[in-house]
Amino acid sequence: MRNLIVIPAFNEEEALPKTVERLQRLPAGFEILVVNDGSKDRTKDVANRLVATSRLPLHVAHLPVNCGIGVAVQTGYRFAVADGGYRYVIQFDADGQHDADYINALVDLAVRDDLDLCVGSRFIHDFGPGSRSTFLRRVGIRFFAGLIGLMSGVKVTDPTSGFRCLGPRAWRRFADSYPEDYPEPEALFWCARNRLKVGELPVRMFERQGGVSSIRKLKSAYYMVKVSLAIVFDRIRGTEVVMPAPQPATA
Amino acid sequence: MINAEFLMLLGGCGAFAMTLYWVRVRELRERYAIGWLAVATLLLLTGLFPDVLKGIADRAHLSYPALVLFAALGLIYLNSFFVSVALTKHYRWNVRLTQQMALLEERLRRLEEAKTAKPEDAEATLAD
Repeated sequence: MRNLIVIPAFNEEEALPKTVERLQRLPAGFEILVVNDGSKDRTKDVANRLVATSRLPLHVAHLPVNCGIGVAVQTGYRFAVADGGYRYVIQFDADGQHDADYINALVDLAVRDDLDLCVGSRFIHDFGPGSRSTFLRRVGIRFFAGLIGLMSGVKVTDPTSGFRCLGPRAWRRFADSYPEDYPEPEALFWCARNRLKVGELPVRMFERQGGVSSIRKLKSAYYMVKVSLAIVFDRIRGTEVVMPAPQPATA
Repeated sequence: MINAEFLMLLGGCGAFAMTLYWVRVRELRERYAIGWLAVATLLLLTGLFPDVLKGIADRAHLSYPALVLFAALGLIYLNSFFVSVALTKHYRWNVRLTQQMALLEERLRRLEEAKTAKPEDAEATLAD
């Protein structure tokens, strides 16, 4: 079984090498795709160099202009569709916040419970300071968790987590259509309301090792309004029939 | 003497001339020109037959300027809205093209890498 780890990277020259290095502990069968989202720093050169040094097969896709996190992640899903041989696609941040040791557990849980979306949650277990984000963000995350629960009936604790493992039914659909900015809560809600199987795994997260968060203070208000509206708009759309995914082609 | 009717007539002629010029130099697609020609025609007709607009204003219990303002704002709103729709569509196309380009670039890199290593590997990559 081949699985793809998608790393969206915008101005992550500093953190990217360490992030890829931590992934080298994973067993064979995992492949990495770095999606350089029109970075202005040396992320492109750094990613190209990593291709030669990575033990796991490492691919790079360079978007010529900055398109945002949603487009970068969707590029990964489209890569997986074009390849046709992957089973699970794992979204993993370039900034070092995510712990590579949990990737196997995420995939295992997705396989065991036949999940379409398995989200790494910071809020199921307390892993100590640095893992749980700031107070204001926690309030925002709780708000989205409540909104998603209210509108889909699915209980989640960390809807904004970008550490997630997607099964083929989810990533094949997202390759076709995926929210553009701040996509995580929307994507989770879409899965929940269309009766895809969603689960969560407690994970530890770290402080970011470099780069700049895509959600800064001035954008927070916009983020809250935009994502809330997107969830409400999505609710008034019809339910989609998501067909079972074809079996991955053997490599 | 300049009055509202004369200004509408002038505006209608100007709108016609502008639309035809931009279509002629191929910087405005015919599908958008149709809408602008309709606006120009409306302006010309209201300039030529002011009584029609005055009659509508009377029946709607509005003053003449208020009706003209309302109609103009309505047109501006509709136009802006459909420009937003067109922008959204074009954004999606741009994103798709950008992604496709990045993925093809990566495929080309892998092919070149395989070709440098072993020409037969490149053929296998191409066949995948």
